[in-house]
Amino acid sequence: MNQEQQLKLQAFLDGELPEREAREILAWTQRDGEAASLLAELKGTRQAMAKAELRLSVPTTREFFWSKIEREIQRLEPQATIAPDVSFSAALRRFLLPASALAALVIAGLVVHFHATPVAPVDTAGNDTPAVETTLASADATTYRDTSAGTTLVWFSDDTPAKAVKPTAIN
Amino acid sequence: MSGKNYSSADDEALVNAARHGELEAFEELVFRHRDPIYARAFSMTRNEDDAVDLSQEAWIKGWQRLGQFQGESSFTTWMTRIVINLCLDHLRRQKRHRTDSIEELDDEGGGVERQMPVVTVNPTAGLERAELRKKIDEALDQLSAEHRTVLVLHEFEDLEYKEIAKTVGCSMGTVMSRLFYARRKMAGLLAEMRKES
Repeated sequence: MNQEQQLKLQAFLDGELPEREAREILAWTQRDGEAASLLAELKGTRQAMAKAELRLSVPTTREFFWSKIEREIQRLEPQATIAPDVSFSAALRRFLLPASALAALVIAGLVVHFHATPVAPVDTAGNDTPAVETTLASADATTYRDTSAGTTLVWFSDDTPAKAVKPTAIN
Repeated sequence: MSGKNYSSADDEALVNAARHGELEAFEELVFRHRDPIYARAFSMTRNEDDAVDLSQEAWIKGWQRLGQFQGESSFTTWMTRIVINLCLDHLRRQKRHRTDSIEELDDEGGGVERQMPVVTVNPTAGLERAELRKKIDEALDQLSAEHRTVLVLHEFEDLEYKEIAKTVGCSMGTVMSRLFYARRKMAGLLAEMRKES
């Protein structure tokens, strides 16, 4: 008997064959003693194992077994298993404190930056690119400086749109 | 659901309560079903400590996946599938870490069992149920992990070839040959035990 036949015999026993093939195997086992013996052995093993699994119990106490599970669940999902003990106002305070500290830092940083930055970059390279500057101290003054032409223009603007530009030339 | 009612509640009610974060309901489920889940882990790993660890891990996974439990099978069946998958991962890791012996390689091929003479006398005839269980357990201990897994899934879990192949991650042909050799070896082992006793 070859391996394929052996496996077919087993598949027949387990009800895994289509009806036509199952009929063929049944006929084969009825005329072949070797096939019939092997089928009987496989069937005997299967029947012996049916509902013969050893009944086992966890070899630890309920509390010990559960404690590890509980710890791990609480570690993985603390929000889901432990009710938060904080009120809305406490949570808001907890959020606002770092947020306001951060905002103060940003404002301070901006103030320092604008006071420390030179108002007009010096054209040390001597190139021909004109520079346009706006100072923070007088936000309504715009300076146009062209080093190649030796010309500086300053615009003073007020809040009235109609009088927006008053160019003055300084040589 | 109040905590006092957990012990009298059915599994479905406990699962629903656990889904809503009630850990005590889940504890009751663990208490009710921990033995069969542990037994399945032990039948596959044959190691008490590993079986405890893997069954605990299965319960943790069960908690995390409660939302996926549709109730198509029983809660125990669902949990058993989880522990089986964990055991298979564990056995794969073990296999990667050990050097397979020549004997194990022969086992995988199954050549020896194929040539074994057929056991004609039923080796389990007349045995008491408890004695039979013990002998089957002893024989399972002597099978390779690959053969034992397929046998356990087929005989104890009633899975079909196709389902075993999907669970184990191998072809149906491999399942069939492993099952055949496992059964033959089991028959031989039971016959030997009968002779010895």
